[in-house]
Amino acid sequence: MAEKEGKEKWGMVIDLDICTGCQACVTACSMENNIPFVGEDEMAYGRGMQWMRIRRYWEGEYPEVAPAHEPMLCQQCGNAPCEPVCPVFASVHSEQEQINLQVYNRCIGTRYCANNCPFSARTFNWFDYELPAPMNSYLNPDVSVRRRGIMEKCTFCVQRIVKGRQNASASGREIADGEVVPACAQACPTDAIVFGNLSDPESRVSQIARSDRAFRELEELGTDSRVTYLKGGKNYGS
Amino acid sequence: MKSKVPIWQRGSFRITVAIILLILAGGAVGGVYFTQIPPEQPIQFPHNFHVGLGAQCEYCHTGTATGPSAGLPTTDKCWGCHQQLTPRNADMELVVHYAEKGLSIPWVPVAIQPDFVQFNHQPHILAGVSCSTCHGDLTTMTVAEPQKGQNMGWCLDCHQKMSTPEEFVRLSDCATCHY
Repeated sequence: MAEKEGKEKWGMVIDLDICTGCQACVTACSMENNIPFVGEDEMAYGRGMQWMRIRRYWEGEYPEVAPAHEPMLCQQCGNAPCEPVCPVFASVHSEQEQINLQVYNRCIGTRYCANNCPFSARTFNWFDYELPAPMNSYLNPDVSVRRRGIMEKCTFCVQRIVKGRQNASASGREIADGEVVPACAQACPTDAIVFGNLSDPESRVSQIARSDRAFRELEELGTDSRVTYLKGGKNYGS
Repeated sequence: MKSKVPIWQRGSFRITVAIILLILAGGAVGGVYFTQIPPEQPIQFPHNFHVGLGAQCEYCHTGTATGPSAGLPTTDKCWGCHQQLTPRNADMELVVHYAEKGLSIPWVPVAIQPDFVQFNHQPHILAGVSCSTCHGDLTTMTVAEPQKGQNMGWCLDCHQKMSTPEEFVRLSDCATCHY
């Protein structure tokens, strides 16, 4: 099979200046990745399951207080703190996709990875969650349904990446820029989330990531995260 | 009077342990056996006969070149040929029965993967892997039979043989099959 080996380094840019915090990405992520809805009580216990969440915090002192928010998801660190601590190698780095993978059938649920994640991006299946009758038809057949005792996290919608690569390979070409779109970026009404190949300097995500407004979360930790945030000055909104 | 023989040396104890072990081993063997026999099908479909007539696998299992699932034939697909035939046996009369009632034939899938494995036919067919590599020689089977030893090592073995070391980086990546 003659096939060119494209070395993709998947990355994401989230523009906080145009993000409205509407949570459409959170909903889309849950639907795409078969994430169960745990309910109010479990959420209060801190057992909520969201691969992506909107962090909300307040800036300034009362009465000059302004809300700020930021979508937080797995940053797909190139130098990930979650990976070396897994005793069964369930949290592994993908050589091909350059992302962090969670191999569900290996995971034994020590939760060490989640405790080591500086972004709190990992969620744990504390229970087997039943989906009530009509909702089970919404399950995405491309994604495994995780069971109790399994750690899980954002995969950059790796099922879409794999499908995109297989489609491209079937028609004998490289993956085009913008061909692979994760559920959150697809659902974002303001197009604040851009996904693409960071190793291609001409791709849309690379161009936006070179912006002056770009920063990365907890960059001082040196995790080499693949998610870049854009945030301008304070001269808008408030 | 208290027996001086320790408990693990008594005949009754040893027989009880042996029976328990036999039951456990029997259960394990039976459990493995039931995963290796072909499931009960609504029609004892003679693959060997149809392949012998020259029917290609893709004629009935249409999805192989285009998608993840090869698919099982609909009743209309069977009826396309079988409406021109006079039923010669009970199975062929069942086809007539399903077609005239407009029912779908409840085929039982044989070659299935666990929930955490994502298998796609398309890249395998496009890479020129023949159906019999994984599904066995259907010219010798009536109903499809599950193939033995198809575990992850078997997948990786073939991936390694069929690819260059550069391609094997992708073909051995966890995310190729597990997500």
